[in-house]
Amino acid sequence: MFELTLQAIVSGLLVGGVYALMAAGLNLIFGVVRIINFAHGDLMMVAMYAVYWLFTLSGIDPYVAVLVVAPALFLLGVFLQRVVIRPIQGSSPLMIIFATVAVSLVLQNLALMLFQGDFRSVQTSYSIAVLDAGPVLVSVPRLIAFAASILLFAGLFLFLRYTYVGKALRAVAENRTVARLMGIRVERIYLLAFGLGSALAGIAGVLMMPFASAYPTVGTIYTLLAFVVVVLGGLGSMEGTVVAGLAVGLIETLTGTFISPAVKEIAYFGLFIVILLIRPQGFFGLGKGTEEVGLK
Amino acid sequence: MKRQRVAAVLAGAAAVLLPVFVRSQFALDMAILTLFYVGLTAAWNLVTFSGRLSLGHAAFFGLGAYTATLLFVRAGIPPVIGAAVAVVVSLLGGLLMVLVMVRLRGPFFTLASIAFAEVLQLVATHWRSLTDGSVGLHIPFRPGWQNLTFTSKEPYYYIALALAVLSVWLGHRLYHSSTGYFLRAASSDEEACQALGVNIKRAQAAALLWSAGMTGLLGVFYAYFIYVIEPTTFFSMELFSLQPALNGIIGGVGTVWGPVLGALVMTPLGEYLRTFLGAMQQGLHFLVYGLVLLVIVRVLPGGFMSIITGVRARNDDRGSGANERGRSYTAAS
Repeated sequence: MFELTLQAIVSGLLVGGVYALMAAGLNLIFGVVRIINFAHGDLMMVAMYAVYWLFTLSGIDPYVAVLVVAPALFLLGVFLQRVVIRPIQGSSPLMIIFATVAVSLVLQNLALMLFQGDFRSVQTSYSIAVLDAGPVLVSVPRLIAFAASILLFAGLFLFLRYTYVGKALRAVAENRTVARLMGIRVERIYLLAFGLGSALAGIAGVLMMPFASAYPTVGTIYTLLAFVVVVLGGLGSMEGTVVAGLAVGLIETLTGTFISPAVKEIAYFGLFIVILLIRPQGFFGLGKGTEEVGLK
Repeated sequence: MKRQRVAAVLAGAAAVLLPVFVRSQFALDMAILTLFYVGLTAAWNLVTFSGRLSLGHAAFFGLGAYTATLLFVRAGIPPVIGAAVAVVVSLLGGLLMVLVMVRLRGPFFTLASIAFAEVLQLVATHWRSLTDGSVGLHIPFRPGWQNLTFTSKEPYYYIALALAVLSVWLGHRLYHSSTGYFLRAASSDEEACQALGVNIKRAQAAALLWSAGMTGLLGVFYAYFIYVIEPTTFFSMELFSLQPALNGIIGGVGTVWGPVLGALVMTPLGEYLRTFLGAMQQGLHFLVYGLVLLVIVRVLPGGFMSIITGVRARNDDRGSGANERGRSYTAAS
């Protein structure tokens, strides 16, 4: 019983790290551009397919593929911000929801047209490798995904804290009018934030691919999952996102282990609704600008 | 005004007589589906009067469909009574959503509505002893009015027509009632509305409940139309949450007739794509929806409806009110 619990906790924390990384992208876009991106999980889906095809057609290892996939997703994010979001930025929140829902539909159904609905996964030499660490067994790709996520988080924190561009991003998130007056080119910062957020979703997709499958609607569940994490951790709060990501991973594996695997999704969607109801500002405070996207 | 009434009578006569002249089963099927989506879109649209976007109406649809089917298959209760119970159950689901709605706005209401429908789909899939899970339930084929099962398409056509009319009529009544005025006022400024003493939460709850009940009723119809019911279809986000929403947005959100127009144009187009090109190109149907939506958001935020109101405003631009109204549709969305 003790070992089972320990195993569930370890697995939960490992998968939670990737959830946090994916949600961080969503939160960055929200914090800076002030839009809720309903296509976030679909960006991850695009990355997963990219990994699959790079691996299947030219045998490129998923972890090497990240060198192509992350920049590609960055560009896709920049493109979306420039072509879809910028022209309607400042119109009603409802219009922006429609726009990102439309992007989600287009991406999902393009994937369906091009690759059909099959589940596609990559079989690498390490896909099922397991590390025997005393009382628990640790899946190697999951451990790599977790470690990479934590490293990226550290990098993201340092970037936002110490570089000029990182400071500009935070300044725009804080107050875009003042940021503009200080000479920051706000429109460019929006492009950068959307690009970075998409790249983070893409990297999360790459890290998941050795142990997950790609299919056209895989993004829907991850969009919702990312929102669960972001809302739980607090909109605009990166620290909160890390903690909430780990928490959601734990909830998933604990309910999956002790109640039933069928219950784990019900658990986090149920949790999502309950949190929205009792504490919509999350547990790490209410981010600035939440009223702009329609939350009090 | 008179011209509108003549047009309405002509459209009504055409709708009633359609099965007499159209003998093609495919065309009749298409007409039934179109009317069904007119009803579903108009029902979904009731919630948008309060400026909220639901992407979880599949929840009410599935609740209605499952209630009536379970009562018939498991207890032999005839569908006419089953439909009444189904509406009650959908209303109970609606009450849960009301709890969410009075607290949340914007994207957060939308997200909660998606999560609500997803949870119900998961429950329907995993509660096997009740629903037979993903295997689904079959409605036995016993033709007759009392079982809402028919050997020809015509009765389904007239039921769909009646439901569509009922749904649009509900929208029309709500839009022009005091509740409707409260909702539209609140969608631009909720606080100001409350400060004037309007019980806005009650108005929102009323709109959502009408919407949930009507959607549940349409769920019952659809279950009896296709005989087989299983969770991934009847709680399908694409078919019963997104598609009505897309029809509504493309037609003109926040108006009574925009969503009707959206469903009338987009359903046959979507079905055409799915039937003739779908075999080769799965996904084309919703890809087209997505692209149309992107264009609408960019160039025509008021939807198809704003073309009509725009033209009408230009035709009698001496009546300055008309132009204002045409614009306010855009603003309300």
